[in-house]
Amino acid sequence: MKQDTPWTYSGYRRRQTLRIWTIALVIGFCAYWAGVSCKVDVDALRTGLPKGIDFLGYLFPPDWTAFADMAMPALETILLAFLATIFGAFLSLFFGLAAASNIAPRWLRNLSRFLLATERSLPEIVILLLLISALGLGPFPGVIAMAFGCIGMLGRLFSDAIEEINPATLESIESVGARRWQVITYGVLPQVLPSLLANTIFRFEVNIRLSVLLGAVGAGGIGFQLYYSFQTLQYQRATTAILITLLLVFVSERLSDYVRKKLTLDARL
Amino acid sequence: MGANTARLLSFQILARMIDVRQITKSTKEGVPILKGISFTVTKGEFVGILGPSGAGKTLTMRCLNGLTRPTSGEVLFTDHEHNLVNLTHARGRELRKARRQIGVIFQGFNLVKRLSAIDNVMIGQLGRINLLRSLVYGFTDDEARQALAVLEHLNVAHLAHRPVGSLSGGEQQRVAIARAIYQQPAVMLADEPIANLDPTNARKIMQILTPLAKEMPIIGVFHQPDLVMEFCTRIIALKEGVVVRDGDSKMTRSELVDLYGAELSEIEASQRILQPA
Repeated sequence: MKQDTPWTYSGYRRRQTLRIWTIALVIGFCAYWAGVSCKVDVDALRTGLPKGIDFLGYLFPPDWTAFADMAMPALETILLAFLATIFGAFLSLFFGLAAASNIAPRWLRNLSRFLLATERSLPEIVILLLLISALGLGPFPGVIAMAFGCIGMLGRLFSDAIEEINPATLESIESVGARRWQVITYGVLPQVLPSLLANTIFRFEVNIRLSVLLGAVGAGGIGFQLYYSFQTLQYQRATTAILITLLLVFVSERLSDYVRKKLTLDARL
Repeated sequence: MGANTARLLSFQILARMIDVRQITKSTKEGVPILKGISFTVTKGEFVGILGPSGAGKTLTMRCLNGLTRPTSGEVLFTDHEHNLVNLTHARGRELRKARRQIGVIFQGFNLVKRLSAIDNVMIGQLGRINLLRSLVYGFTDDEARQALAVLEHLNVAHLAHRPVGSLSGGEQQRVAIARAIYQQPAVMLADEPIANLDPTNARKIMQILTPLAKEMPIIGVFHQPDLVMEFCTRIIALKEGVVVRDGDSKMTRSELVDLYGAELSEIEASQRILQPA
């Protein structure tokens, strides 16, 4: 018969150390293998770095005269992100409700979760390239691509937030003879609203960055100006586009942080 | 059967607001929890259901509102219009219609914490107002005035516009009662309405419920035998899913010992701790 060895602190520490080192070694080996596969070349980095520093010289000073030309594309980027966020968040609400186990029947929940997961596995850039082939270049396919991205992320977050609602609260509204939509309007929405708004604002911040990237591949806005300036070797003009992008991202981040903080404080009731 | 006898019989049936007939309920594994509960509650009664933990009190209450369906047996409910509804079989519109007239005060209040007290009270009328109006517009000034009047009656009108999540347990309980009153039910169910309240607040809540029972029968689950004996008109005692006593509101100490066993000393001890010095 196996005899249990008494628990000792040194034995516990030994096992913990062994476990941590084993995990670290496995991760280290995987990283080395990935580096070899991706042809990571430290020498190329060493010889390329001075060239990169020289190139920075071409970027400065920024071309301030281009600033006025870029005001409209910058606004287009903001509007692109705004429209995609509003459109995506609105649809996400319905997907979120359909994917919540405490609201929707099992078949609808499973179907919605499947659609949301499929949507999340498609990067926005893939959706945009597909849409460009159908709708042509311009902001419109960009809005649709980002709105799709919103639904995948926000739909899942909304459904998780809805599932966290105390079921007894919903039951108590049902107990007065309320219909399903009344339970949603008076029981679900007030409870999840701060979380919905906070996530939507965070997604707006993500969409600002994303609209710059998607702009470079045909959705217009400041991203396209950046791409075009690089392509036509107007590096100082490109610097102006980069500075505007930084400003947009910084302001949207600060704004998002501020509003979400207010909402989180409000949600502590 | 003569016409007089038929009329008398129908009158007797209608006087029974809630008629519970041999309800049983088992777990998914087939373990019986309720083993044939039967009782009838008529107008003017304030019924206190007592029993040790796990006796099936809350489950019985849930069956009375159709929140839980019994495995067998029937729960019959007579509404304001003297319609007899079988809550065991009612579904959809019929169940919603019956629920409009069954006010429930839940143990944990179960209010929408982010909504104001007055909004929570008005939720009591959701089953009665037009669906489209409730979704698009909400409640009218008249409805708000009536809700405020109920809150005033319960001395919490000054909290009407505060989010319920910021109120104390006693205040939330009053809002929950206000919601049930505002619902204008034919019968009121109260699942441990004074649990977690100090004796002073518990007594105040019982004082609020007692006159209401004259207008609509109240069936409440309680853990305070002393308050039940003081305020209720009738006591139903449950033990292990069976009604072991159904009678007046006086129980002797030996009856209580039989009912609660060792739990009685715990109840008495907790009451002593809660008593103000």
